Amino acid sequence: MKSKHFSILFILLILSLFLSACAGGAATAASSWPGLTVDGETAYLAYNQHVYAINVADGKEKWRFPLEANNKISFYTAPVMTPDGQLIVGGYDHILYSIDPQTGKEKWSFTDAKNRYIGSPLVNQAGIFAPTADDHLYALDFQGKLLWSFPTQGAQWASPVADPTCECIYLASMDHYLYAINTSDGAQVWKSEDLGGSMVGTPAYNTDGTLYVGTFNNEILAISSENGKVLWRKPTNGWVWGGPAIKDGKIYFGDLTGTFYAMDASNGNLLWKLNPGTGDASGQGTQRSNPDGPIVQTPLLTDELIYFTTRVGSIFGVSYSGETKFFIDIHQLDKSICGDPKNIKVRPSVKLFSSPVLAGDKILVAPTEADELLYALDANGKPTWCPFIPEKK
Amino acid sequence: MNFWDLLILNPMVNSLLWIYSVLWQNFGLAIIVFTLLVRLITYPLTASQMKSSQAMQEMQKSKKWQEIQKKYKYNREKLAQEQMNLYKEMGINPFGSCLPTLIQFPVIIGLYQAVIRALAVTPIQLLDLSNHIYPFINAARLIPLNNRFLWMDLSQPERLLVFGFGIPVLAVLVVITTYLQSKLMTPPTQPGDQSAQMAQAMNLYMPFLMGWLAYSFSSGLALYFLASNVFTVIQYAATGKVQWSNLLPGMKKTTS
Repeated sequence: MKSKHFSILFILLILSLFLSACAGGAATAASSWPGLTVDGETAYLAYNQHVYAINVADGKEKWRFPLEANNKISFYTAPVMTPDGQLIVGGYDHILYSIDPQTGKEKWSFTDAKNRYIGSPLVNQAGIFAPTADDHLYALDFQGKLLWSFPTQGAQWASPVADPTCECIYLASMDHYLYAINTSDGAQVWKSEDLGGSMVGTPAYNTDGTLYVGTFNNEILAISSENGKVLWRKPTNGWVWGGPAIKDGKIYFGDLTGTFYAMDASNGNLLWKLNPGTGDASGQGTQRSNPDGPIVQTPLLTDELIYFTTRVGSIFGVSYSGETKFFIDIHQLDKSICGDPKNIKVRPSVKLFSSPVLAGDKILVAPTEADELLYALDANGKPTWCPFIPEKK
Repeated sequence: MNFWDLLILNPMVNSLLWIYSVLWQNFGLAIIVFTLLVRLITYPLTASQMKSSQAMQEMQKSKKWQEIQKKYKYNREKLAQEQMNLYKEMGINPFGSCLPTLIQFPVIIGLYQAVIRALAVTPIQLLDLSNHIYPFINAARLIPLNNRFLWMDLSQPERLLVFGFGIPVLAVLVVITTYLQSKLMTPPTQPGDQSAQMAQAMNLYMPFLMGWLAYSFSSGLALYFLASNVFTVIQYAATGKVQWSNLLPGMKKTTS
């Protein structure tokens, strides 16, 4: 009878492991993509169970937080630096951490939130404004003391955006509304009309006082920051996940169908777009000259090119006139810099969700579901150091 | 897209979302109604399984089978052969009770995954969901799903705060209903019946396993476990197959 009990226990254990796997309950399984920030010579990468500080010059790890992996803690939001030199990062454990960027030691933590931090906090001279999936925006001072909280009717996955002309910030919520909030007391200044769909991308703020935001209702909208009124709205092919980027009166963004758009910021007129799939819009004629998968993040705008990534693992560099100038498949990167390239095998499942980040003359790219957590590329897409793979500790 | 997603998961996720859209955007109610619908759709399988189990029990109780067992006590090969002959004679399909269960297994796993997928509480889950929504579902209007149901956030493990203590009410209910379900559905046993001993051991461990899952994972899943247990008991009760006597030690029946 004892052996029967043992067999049943064994079967149930296997069943529970199977169900756990189905539920995605394992803390080690990535449930989002890396958050990456560069400050001077250091890149701060939040991914899964650690925040890593990595030297931009050579890709070596300076420190990691926490030192020991803890199944209950994971990080995916891009860390942000406060004016007084603290690194702030929100965890999936519902805790917002302040870390000393020199040592990687915790300075304080804020534990009032009741759900995950998915969007990065906004930090300015007025304080720390941290959106959470518990439907609240928490405003803290630089010692981690709660100043006020602002509730919405849905989770907040998008970072708020600051308006330098007033004591206010703008928050796009998954409840379909955009809010203007007074930073001194957390009072609502205005609330937009129902914009038709959830927003998870950070709105872009133009100096003329217009906000641009994409929604899951397959639309991009321009909103007046003065009163929250919709100025114009234009249809897109699919959900707009990442917020648009703005430069010289034009907005640039992608959607989940893999379409990339350039629009006139004043009226939403389409200037050009890259259709998903083969090169039918850019005129390059190569199979990969157009986006080959969903685009989920805000593009990186440099002086020369617009950079964005697609989920299938491609990095695109597109000119401001809409020509694909630069295309890299992360699975095909030249890794000869690592010595024996056999040591670096990029798994076929590796994806790219995070935006490329500029670090001096390097472009940093953080893949998802990869052993290599960070790539540094030069302007031609060649790795400048061997991809960062954290040592097992 | 793989066959699993195409044939099982996508129809389930979209049905769940559609039910949610017509049930006042209440995800808790949607889970309960969805579980009920799946139980009703798979009822022919359940009924066939119950019928086969009953026929097997009848055979186990029959004098003829007991005589065969005695006769070929020390000849397992002959016993198996005679057993097959008896199956044929009594018109029993030996796989009749396990085949419907096997067919239901993907449905149960699909249900479980559909609840997880529809809750989509992390960016990768939501991106994944966006790939599987049918065009006729107005996803823009539905997302984010309203995860609140009674005192619960269906995307989080459930705890009812009582005087500052978090009581896992749903997990406790899952333990109780899993125990009741297994007790009520266990047929009368013969003394020394090995399969009955296995069933008793399962009845002992299963409630704790289900309770642990309900305690650890999103309460949406725990609600599904609870609804599923309750509907199973109701289904069996409706067909008069529930062994109420198993709940009262004094009334417990054994076949002789």
